[in-house]
Amino acid sequence: MVRVSVSARGELSAAAAGLNLLGSLAAGMAAISLVFVFYGVDPLEAFGSIFAGSFGSLYGIKETVTKAIPLVLIAAGLALAFRAKFWNIGAESQLLMGAIFSTWVGLNWGPHLPSYVIIPLMFAAAMLGGALWGIIPAVLKYKFAINEVISTLMLNYICAELTTLLVVGPWKGKTKFGFPYTDDLPPQAVLGLLPGSSIHYVTLAVAVTLAVVLGLLVFKTRFGYELRVIGENPNAARYAGIDFLRTTMVVMAISGAAAGLAGAGEIAGVHHHLSYPDAISSGYGYTAIIVAWLAKLNPFYVVVAGFFFAGILVGGDAIQISLGLPAATVNVFNGILLLFLIMGDYFARNRVRLTWIASDKG
Amino acid sequence: MRFFKLFGLIILAIAVSAPGSMAKTKKLKAGFIYVGPVGDYGWSHAHDMGRKYAEQKLPWLKTVYIESVAEADAKRIINRFVQEQKCDVVFTTSFGYMQDTLEAGRRYPKTIFMHCSGFKRAKNVGTYFVDLYQVYYLNGLMAGALTKTGKIGYVAAFPIPEVVRHIDAFALGIKAVNPKAKVHVKWIYAWYGPDKAREAAEALIAEGCDALAFTEDTPSVIEVGQEHTEKGKQIYTFSHYSPMQPYGKDSVVSGQLVDWGGLYVDILKEVYQGKWTNKDRWWLVGQGAAILGGSFKEPVNARFAGALKKAMVDTPDLGRLSVYDLVMARYDQMKKVPAGFEPFSGPVYDNTGKLQIAKGKKASKGELLSIMYYVDNIAGKIPH
Repeated sequence: MVRVSVSARGELSAAAAGLNLLGSLAAGMAAISLVFVFYGVDPLEAFGSIFAGSFGSLYGIKETVTKAIPLVLIAAGLALAFRAKFWNIGAESQLLMGAIFSTWVGLNWGPHLPSYVIIPLMFAAAMLGGALWGIIPAVLKYKFAINEVISTLMLNYICAELTTLLVVGPWKGKTKFGFPYTDDLPPQAVLGLLPGSSIHYVTLAVAVTLAVVLGLLVFKTRFGYELRVIGENPNAARYAGIDFLRTTMVVMAISGAAAGLAGAGEIAGVHHHLSYPDAISSGYGYTAIIVAWLAKLNPFYVVVAGFFFAGILVGGDAIQISLGLPAATVNVFNGILLLFLIMGDYFARNRVRLTWIASDKG
Repeated sequence: MRFFKLFGLIILAIAVSAPGSMAKTKKLKAGFIYVGPVGDYGWSHAHDMGRKYAEQKLPWLKTVYIESVAEADAKRIINRFVQEQKCDVVFTTSFGYMQDTLEAGRRYPKTIFMHCSGFKRAKNVGTYFVDLYQVYYLNGLMAGALTKTGKIGYVAAFPIPEVVRHIDAFALGIKAVNPKAKVHVKWIYAWYGPDKAREAAEALIAEGCDALAFTEDTPSVIEVGQEHTEKGKQIYTFSHYSPMQPYGKDSVVSGQLVDWGGLYVDILKEVYQGKWTNKDRWWLVGQGAAILGGSFKEPVNARFAGALKKAMVDTPDLGRLSVYDLVMARYDQMKKVPAGFEPFSGPVYDNTGKLQIAKGKKASKGELLSIMYYVDNIAGKIPH
């Protein structure tokens, strides 16, 4: 008979934590290899073509960077929320709220203002939209004890329907022949691209800056300390008199605002109009959850993890095109990776012992 | 001298053989971008069948494809097809890719882009479509003859002209044999949303509809029809896009089928021969692209042929005949180019009483492509 005993482990050394991350990734990759083998594809060839397709050419790098922008923004915010043990599954709709708010500002004020005024206004509006949408589940949790996983997830559906309602209803563009898009933003409200690419560099700069600022916030400020205590030791936090509602509201305002920024970036940098939810975001709000975990909930690392994961998504096209694997493979890939990262985290926090016990009845 | 002779011969040999050998080895690479999974059994599946057909027919053709491309990702995939895959032609098979396709046309002037279902063209961007509205009319004839409740349901994806045209054509067919019957529409705002389609179909049946047609990409409506039929309540359904009769052998009467193969071969041949222009290609029954049936084997499910042969109807041009014969006669007329019968022939009134197509007039292609009114036997309003 096997007895499993679990006991909490102290803080891991940096080297051990790194080893744990690499080990989890390697185990995840091994599990994914099985999926490839099942499809009759050599796993090495599959991984090779994923990384060749994302980092192996100028084209791949440019697209990877473009895709990383929303992931870095959202994951940096999520890292904060998750550290406070607030499971924000609602980044997808916080992004959409940002998109809605910035589209409104861009369409209504854009024609009358110069770029250097309208773009910051759009970003600010997006942050406001995302933050407001993010605060709702925080209030629901600490005022009404409603589980935030449920409420954030449900808010995603509500916001997706709201977006659809707007684009098929009152916001439907006059220049779009009855099709469900808003009119295009005026040129002043559109972000510039790095020549020959789709990289809207303003949002890229905002994303990297935000990650750094949030990193400093988490590790160097009193507020960051409070949110970590709430997450790691809620009882201690209570004794210390930390206001859970206030702190979580601020955390979620930041997390929502960061996702909102990603929405503004997609609108002003990529699409130039609002449209159906899945035409604006291809699941960035969900993918960023994996990115945040991959970064070990450290906003500094989010930049690296975001680029790595964007690479997997962009390279995922390549395994479809050159190896003929179905599109869903990439989702399986992502899911397995997240599973192993979370398992790795568990083993990093807990010591698990298996002991053999001789059976009495022999 | 010998050297020059030899040199001359070599030049001659190269000159003679080069064009021939080049023509023989000239390859064309086409990339296909699909909005849904190729297993969706609807839109993307049908395009992929067309791609496979073209690849099999044209020995010089190589194709690549990518499925489930969200509109948000279209730009990136087009870039990949042109820059990495070196495609000569890129087919973007969803309306939502229009803007990205046009922009790509400007970015890559040497590549030919074909955007399916769009209306904006450029020097190197063409458009193409297979429209099924004629076949919807034929199915309307059958639905009108079979309904007992006089209420016919329609599950529709999005309120855009293409879908409205389908609903209208279906309703006009119903009206030709059963002027009292009414069409009830439920919008599900999804091309691929099996749960929503199922819900809408159940709601329509609950409201008393006993015949259901649809424009979306899943066999859900048919599955619902089959379930009710098996429980003893006959629901007539009309398959859409792919041969969905196997999902409802007791429920599917007929349907619309599409064959993109011929159109893809036609476009790719023109590109190969250097004859391609950006003209709009709009293929109908006449070109063999739109086909009647819920299965490629039979235009009308044999189970319902008897009832349709018994139902008699008076027509202004063909006299009194069975609905079955009327369907076949109209189908034959539509197979001619130009079609010998147009469903949208005046007088056609919308459901607010306004005359939309005058007596003796037929809808122009432009009118059909921008149609946004319900004809007079459809209940309700188009959401906007």
